[in-house]
Amino acid sequence: MVASFRKLACATALASLAMTSLAAAADIKLGIVAPMTGQLASEGQDLENAVKMAIDAANANGGVNGDKITTVTADDACDPQQGVTAASKLVSEGVTAVLGGYCSGAVLPTLKIYGDAGIPFVIISANSTKLVDSNPGNAFMTNSTGDMQAVTAVGLFKKNGYKKIAIIDEGDAYSSDLAKLTAEAFPKEGGEVVDKETTTAGEQDYSAVVTKVKSSGADAVFWTAYHAGGALLTKQLRQAGFQGGIVLGDGNNSPEYLQIAGSAGEGVYLLSPPTVDLLSGAADFKEKYKAAYGRDAGAYAALSHDAGNLILDAIGRAKSTDAKAIIEALAASDYKGLAGEIRFTDKHTLQTSNFRPVVAKDGKWVAAE
Amino acid sequence: MSDEAKAAPALPPPAVMSRSVVALGVVALICTLALPQVSNAYVTEVATTALLYVVLCLGLNIVVGYAGLLDLGYAAFFAVGAYTTGILTAEFGFNFWLTIPVAMVAACIAGIIIGTPTLRLRSDYLAIVTLGFGEIVRIIARNLDITGGASGLVGIERPVLFGFRLFQVQHFYYAFLVLALITIFVCLSVERSRIGRAWLYVRYDEDAAAGIGINRVSVKLQAYMMGAVIASVAGCLYAAKMTAISPESFTFAQSLIILLGVVLGGMGRIPGVILGAVLVALLPEVLRGAGTYRPLVTAVALLAIMLFRPSGLWPDKRV
Amino acid sequence: MTFDLVVQQLANGLIVGSFYALIALGYSMVFGVIKLLNFAHGDIYMTGAFVGLVVFSAVGVWLGNGWLAVVCALLASMLVVGLLGVIIERFAYRPVRNAPRLSILITALGASMVLNGGALALTGGRHFAFNTDLGYSGIDISAVHITYTQMILVASALILMGGMQTFISRTMYGKAMRAVSIDMGASRLMGIDVDRVIALTFFMGSALAAGGGVMAGAYYGSVHFFMGFIMGLKAFTAAVIGGIGSVPGAMLGGLLLGLLESFGSSLPFVGSEWRDVFVFGALILFLVFKPTGILGRSVVERV
Repeated sequence: MVASFRKLACATALASLAMTSLAAAADIKLGIVAPMTGQLASEGQDLENAVKMAIDAANANGGVNGDKITTVTADDACDPQQGVTAASKLVSEGVTAVLGGYCSGAVLPTLKIYGDAGIPFVIISANSTKLVDSNPGNAFMTNSTGDMQAVTAVGLFKKNGYKKIAIIDEGDAYSSDLAKLTAEAFPKEGGEVVDKETTTAGEQDYSAVVTKVKSSGADAVFWTAYHAGGALLTKQLRQAGFQGGIVLGDGNNSPEYLQIAGSAGEGVYLLSPPTVDLLSGAADFKEKYKAAYGRDAGAYAALSHDAGNLILDAIGRAKSTDAKAIIEALAASDYKGLAGEIRFTDKHTLQTSNFRPVVAKDGKWVAAE
Repeated sequence: MSDEAKAAPALPPPAVMSRSVVALGVVALICTLALPQVSNAYVTEVATTALLYVVLCLGLNIVVGYAGLLDLGYAAFFAVGAYTTGILTAEFGFNFWLTIPVAMVAACIAGIIIGTPTLRLRSDYLAIVTLGFGEIVRIIARNLDITGGASGLVGIERPVLFGFRLFQVQHFYYAFLVLALITIFVCLSVERSRIGRAWLYVRYDEDAAAGIGINRVSVKLQAYMMGAVIASVAGCLYAAKMTAISPESFTFAQSLIILLGVVLGGMGRIPGVILGAVLVALLPEVLRGAGTYRPLVTAVALLAIMLFRPSGLWPDKRV
Repeated sequence: MTFDLVVQQLANGLIVGSFYALIALGYSMVFGVIKLLNFAHGDIYMTGAFVGLVVFSAVGVWLGNGWLAVVCALLASMLVVGLLGVIIERFAYRPVRNAPRLSILITALGASMVLNGGALALTGGRHFAFNTDLGYSGIDISAVHITYTQMILVASALILMGGMQTFISRTMYGKAMRAVSIDMGASRLMGIDVDRVIALTFFMGSALAAGGGVMAGAYYGSVHFFMGFIMGLKAFTAAVIGGIGSVPGAMLGGLLLGLLESFGSSLPFVGSEWRDVFVFGALILFLVFKPTGILGRSVVERV
């Protein structure tokens, strides 16, 4: 029996390892939630870095309302279950507000937790339209939602004279949502969706889908999922002799896309989030970021940096750390950041879309004219 | 398989438990009861996840540990429960508690549909069939409108018990604790029952079991269904706690984690499985720093346990 | 369906089917000798692709990015990964060969997870470009363009599989393999070094998977740690359809599955989002109603 007791003791010791002691009380404590482990760890790290840069700069200037700001980071690993754990962790630590959220799936179940606790939550890059519907009123989204991307996509189709479109997604929440929204929006503008396909993530052979797209007579293909599948699809479309346009959703904004697609990627359009390379005013930020963290600022770094400044701006205008006052101040935001203006609709989404069409030219993304 | 590897099935120990076991149980119970009162929401949240895995691992243990069937799609039954609750409360306005029996029936039916034809197959065929079944359930959930498609269901109602609404972490902690205790009780009783002994015989020697008049397929099917029902009830409570469910929570990886919990602690033995379940729930918290190395560490642990300590960390001393 | 569409989907099905067949063959051979479903097989395919990419990049400096470099990568990867297969068998499967069935299935799962997790840790989950300059030139049948690369690919797969079949049916070692697959105990009594035959089977099966991996990497142009999961499942399905344990069955199953998939996704009434449901559904139906597949012989579970 002694052995069993010892094993129990071991288990208890492990359990206590997982506990975090409450950090020392600080003036204003902000929570950052992002994937720090898992496949999107690099994107999560980027988000944290960019938010921290904004906060460090504010602290160097004497903080907000005379108070210093500290941060605590929680890892949601882009997994719903771990997202809930991370949210509870931040709530237990008594944060004033929370920033972050990369994957919509991991953010969705946490809305109620922050809502019940009444904590202001600035959602940085997660942008599913489901988040809008289940917002208890304390959350604000600084990235344009899927329906705005669909509007940008339809605008691009019209401008390029595409009349018949084939839409392909990967069956996950993000890409099927965007595919559905675009398929609803395009016919209203006089276009026609001639083919709609779903592929499996991790698959390499798209030939059956490519053949169907070709025989559907589409002028262009809209790929709503991520860069890995996008690069393979682009290659196989061009290999099969497809001459039409190829448009990619914002999940394809990765240097890996251009590396894998190679010459097949030339002339492909991408609906890009506001990355530092596309923003005229972000050159300074880009250099400072690289100097501070030794890596290039990722796709959502500018937006994350803006979100950090946005919450500081709101706390400053609220002149208190009272949650209700901060939420009111956020709702009334009129903030001009690196990535553009941040003003919220009454549903707490951006008033103006921040997606920009870019085109691949000589192995680089350049603004589409 | 050589003959010497087949140990004779051990008979269940006498029902009288030694005083020290009772004492240990009481101490453990008091600790678990007191936990939310002495710790913060984060610790309670992690502990709730641990209790969820205790229930799931005990359920899978009936299939893998008792009946010796490798099930690689166990998350499918977890999904059946979660989606039953999700659909019935969010779309049809059912009371949460009424969805539990519906989910149990649904899981039974799913278990019969997939189990009846496949349980007479070779054990490794069964593993692949269950894997395929798990994937089919997930793809169906992601493609249908009623399951909310790939983004899943949101706004699942929180359950009300005698006019008291469960909404805080602590409430769900106790709800899962009750479920875990019920599951432990169920497992303890089947372990010592006639069917429990039949599983043991089937696991050690199918032919001999058939020889003494045990209907192999029926006995295996009972294990499969019991496991399915336990997972589905866990799924109901999970849906209520999360309020939002999506197909991504019921992947092959989830089935693997549950299986890991069963194997890690010691297949077929309740304390071992509980220990394993707690370990897999704590793993993401403990291995935070490991980053992309986490799956590798987990995999090496699984392989090492199986090769060097095949009966698990807290093995059965009887065998 | 127009003529062009039929020809095109036929070509698509044959190409993807040759990959399925190559991988399915390894499953079948291993299953034949030790009656084990080698879960790690899909990950061996993935490892083969990565080893091939490393070799390709290394020799590319001297040989350029053409056929010569691809063939070098192919042979090197087959050798290295074949040995990896032997190592996996030696350390993960042999110790539990005589333990209860469940143990070896779980160690096979563990081996699969170790390869997969190891690749994730080493690559950080990134996708790597496998850029060859094999080009898109080829012949046109009506409106359908078939590149030389595609033709060579299918031909190489057939040659590899034909070679394997000859080896098994004509050589001494092949005879030993067949003997072990029929009765391991009796083979040992007849003086066959069973452990060696099993190791050889793992070497050959893994080498074939690695060959498939390099060919897929070079053909599709990208390699990543998760590429083996779907491929492993599909190849297993192909092996079951053809008849697990049978070499011609694996080839037939692979090609059939490839055709089933390409024509299946052209059907007007089922969307491509349901395709995998049909593949797994076909697998379950075959296992239930015809577990011996089209060309397999019946396997009795030995206890």
